[in-house]
Amino acid sequence: MDDQGCPRCKTTKYRNPSLKLLVNVCGHSLCETCVEALFVKGSGICPECGTALRKNNFRVQLFEDPFIEKEIEVRRKILKDYNKKEEDFKTLEEYNDYIEMIETLIFNIVNNIDVDETRQMIEQYKRENKDQINKGRNKKSKDEEYLECLIEQEKEESSLKRKFIVEEEQREKDSKKKHKEALLDELMFSDRSALDILNEHKTDIDKENELRVPVMATTKFSTGIKLMGKYLRHIRSASDEEKGGGFESKLACMRALLDAVNGLFYLPDQV
Amino acid sequence: MKLNIDGLLVYFPYDYIYPEQYMYMLELKKSLDAKGHCALEMPSGTGKTISLLSLIVAYMKANPLEVTKLIYCSRTVPELEKVVAELKNLMDYYEQQLGKGKPKILGLALSSRKNLCINPEVSQERDGKNVDALCHKLTASFVRANHKRDATVPVCSFYESYDAHGKEMPLPEGVYGLDELQEYGRKKGFCPYFLARHAITHANIVVYSYYYLLDPKIAEVVSKELSKNAVVVFDEAHNIDNVCIESMSIKITRRTLDKCQQNIDGLSKQIQRLKDCDAERLKTEYQKLVQGLRDANIARETDVILANPVLPDDVLKEAVPGNIRTAEHFLGFMKRFLEYMKIRLRVQHVVSESPPSFLKDCYQKVCIERKPLRFCAERLNSMMRTLELVEIHDFSALSLLCHFATLVSTYAKGFVLIIEPFDDRTPTISNPILHFSCMDASIAIKPVFDRFQTVVITSGTLSPLEMYPRILDFRPVTMATFTMTLARTCICPMVVSKGNDQVAMTSKYETREDVAVIRNYGNLLVEFCSIVPDGIVCFFTSYIYMESTVAAWYEQGILDQVQKHKLLFIETQDAAETSLALLNYQKACENGRGAVLLSVARGKVSEGIDFDHHFGRAVIMFGIPYVYTQSKILKARLEYLRDQYQIRENDFLTFDAMRHAAQCVGRALRGKTDYGIMVFADKRFARADKRSKIPRWIQEYLKDGLCNLSVDEAVQVSKRFLRQMAQPFSREDQLGLSLLTVEQLDQEDTKKKLQSRMQYV
Repeated sequence: MDDQGCPRCKTTKYRNPSLKLLVNVCGHSLCETCVEALFVKGSGICPECGTALRKNNFRVQLFEDPFIEKEIEVRRKILKDYNKKEEDFKTLEEYNDYIEMIETLIFNIVNNIDVDETRQMIEQYKRENKDQINKGRNKKSKDEEYLECLIEQEKEESSLKRKFIVEEEQREKDSKKKHKEALLDELMFSDRSALDILNEHKTDIDKENELRVPVMATTKFSTGIKLMGKYLRHIRSASDEEKGGGFESKLACMRALLDAVNGLFYLPDQV
Repeated sequence: MKLNIDGLLVYFPYDYIYPEQYMYMLELKKSLDAKGHCALEMPSGTGKTISLLSLIVAYMKANPLEVTKLIYCSRTVPELEKVVAELKNLMDYYEQQLGKGKPKILGLALSSRKNLCINPEVSQERDGKNVDALCHKLTASFVRANHKRDATVPVCSFYESYDAHGKEMPLPEGVYGLDELQEYGRKKGFCPYFLARHAITHANIVVYSYYYLLDPKIAEVVSKELSKNAVVVFDEAHNIDNVCIESMSIKITRRTLDKCQQNIDGLSKQIQRLKDCDAERLKTEYQKLVQGLRDANIARETDVILANPVLPDDVLKEAVPGNIRTAEHFLGFMKRFLEYMKIRLRVQHVVSESPPSFLKDCYQKVCIERKPLRFCAERLNSMMRTLELVEIHDFSALSLLCHFATLVSTYAKGFVLIIEPFDDRTPTISNPILHFSCMDASIAIKPVFDRFQTVVITSGTLSPLEMYPRILDFRPVTMATFTMTLARTCICPMVVSKGNDQVAMTSKYETREDVAVIRNYGNLLVEFCSIVPDGIVCFFTSYIYMESTVAAWYEQGILDQVQKHKLLFIETQDAAETSLALLNYQKACENGRGAVLLSVARGKVSEGIDFDHHFGRAVIMFGIPYVYTQSKILKARLEYLRDQYQIRENDFLTFDAMRHAAQCVGRALRGKTDYGIMVFADKRFARADKRSKIPRWIQEYLKDGLCNLSVDEAVQVSKRFLRQMAQPFSREDQLGLSLLTVEQLDQEDTKKKLQSRMQYV
């Protein structure tokens, strides 16, 4: 990163650590001071390629290669319109052809090959597929949904884990204290030999440690619906006797919920 | 001798057998019968290898349909050679006993090109990677096609003649070590490497390194077509989880990325060139990719050097996504990904992230979706083939990046990304590293367990046994640990917990800099130097600790006192220096001068170098060799183990430390006529949780009375022990106790006695 510099005033990151490089739509970088100097009026031309630029379109250069910066800018714009997902196509082949076409469009614009023609094509596509574009704008692809689901799961697990660890520590502290007290009591009042008592305590503690295996399970439907506190509010809470028999109020809640949404899968023509 | 193991006739090439060998074979037979996996621990020096070989060969002979193949994996080339030597010994015995009727068995060793190449120009290279690259340059299919057109293009004559005649002519039965393979290759003019690689598909016994089976990149090429009815043996498997993890982890530095940039520039030039002169080829590649990768990619064996890591099958069948189909688009795609990686490496503090959130961020920043990333490795391979690049080695950086892309998008769980902006030791120098670290050892080994009917995991130190099935995620049918039956007590383990001044000895972090502790450690060494004959090996917990301790000893004059008795050698991080030190250490032991070797647990000396007989009469373990617990990667793995397998951090750390300690002290005893003192110099070794994790064959002799000694007491115990050991000891003393003949083995009460000595887990 040190060897990057402004092409106009030749300052480098090495000489001026606070150097800030900016780029505009044409993909050529300029440092902040040069931008201030050149674009006093708010607009001007790029010193490298002569494209007319606006000052407020400059933004901080994120990538080392300004070319990539430009490409991603273009890509974002095009993907906004060409937003069909894999699910919108009948076959995988069609989808593959479609994404290849997008790729070609981007490639042409970025590398200045038939720019006008390409832009026309894009405009035409926009006009023809207006509805589709608006519909697809906020839709997420399957992959994205999958990733988001995973990330959410992760968050949930980590919060659970944190809680669990705190509890575990507390419990361990308590049990240690208890054991110590019990041991001292026994040593004070029992008539057995001290060694026996010590050994017995040791085995007791070992046994207890073995028994304790951390289990973590979140209640979840096979469909992925999560059981929130809200649902449980409308369910009769289980009495102590019922709990003793293994019944929990969330079981009933889950069944009721499933019943409620089961109808969605009823397709008359299949019957 | 001929043995009857549970109804199976086993030819054993020696006149006597150790009781534990007999028990070992019994257990092995059980798991072969059950077609399940097993984990067996037996002390080193009790003939594991020959027991394994003779039983499995006998089993193959008796049930030729059930077990067709034995795959024996070991770690180093010398170990491979040892196995081959034992196998030869066994086959000679068969020949001697049965003559013509001996089983027709083809056994061979496989190693890298570096160890097998006989091409006079190529084999001169020292570096394994260079040999591979040179070989590829001479044998790739497009090079050979060019050769047909233009005879001046050089090819490897050995490979040519192998390809012309060698494939139809199967290797005659017999046992081939690396040298024999080379010899056979020279005689026939065949390339021994490709000969061996071709032959492993029909060989009965294959001996090679772990990596050929565990590293998905290599396994895909070499071991893909091995039959299901095979028995796989992992010998010296105490570190197998680390091998698995290493083979799946990737490290990317700023330099890697710079090289990637060069690679991409180079590739784009190549593509431009190809476009100008031979655009047809790009078009055919494109057509192939449209149809789908796999059927176009009929693995031509020499081309698949840059093979892909494990991928789910459905990906392999699907066609490459449209947006990376043409060469330019793919290059643009890689450029974007590379730029993204660059900004990720520009961090100020340590970042730890899971693959899903990495992918999400990647999509937001550079619009790269998950799907094309998964195809990266395959796509790059195809491109390299189309461009007919000869110097594959030059593009290793880019292929590494592609592997990373494929792995990160394939596995959502079991991996973690850790980006460190600088090394912990030098916080001022920016040196960003991205670790893509595998935390689940079972990912790499799962295909092995799934595919082969019996997998045997065995080693001299595999304690605690129950840990291995958990971290490798498999269900063993038998797990057993065998102790050493000894005619005399020839090991003397002890825990020295305090110095003569009653100051506790420990390498605990808080007290390790304490002058009294260091002095006591020094005293221990001096005292042992004065009473133990020949060689003493000492192990420290880390290089840094060793350096500081030795510096302190120098100031305290302890080193002078040591040198009055023995010569002093030190292991360093430099491999060449260490091997020189080892050589001189052995020389000093040979001529009776006696020597001390200071080395480090987990170092080169602690793994794989034997100090049998006078090379190691005492081993001193200074402290418990815990791994560096502050490493981010280790922390992530511990957390993963706790969540996924309910293994607590401390349990795993202790387990890891104790298996290394056991490895270290186990170096001293390599057979039944050998003897050695094992000193655990840390008071924490006496605690129940540590003591119970020492292998059973050592634990047996670690009595309560030997668990809390001061230096003085330890010296007294050792003196007595050494005097006992100095008495003459002959084979007759061992017979019937630790050495059995066939007749003795058949007696009913011996069998009962043996049964009582074994322990199942």
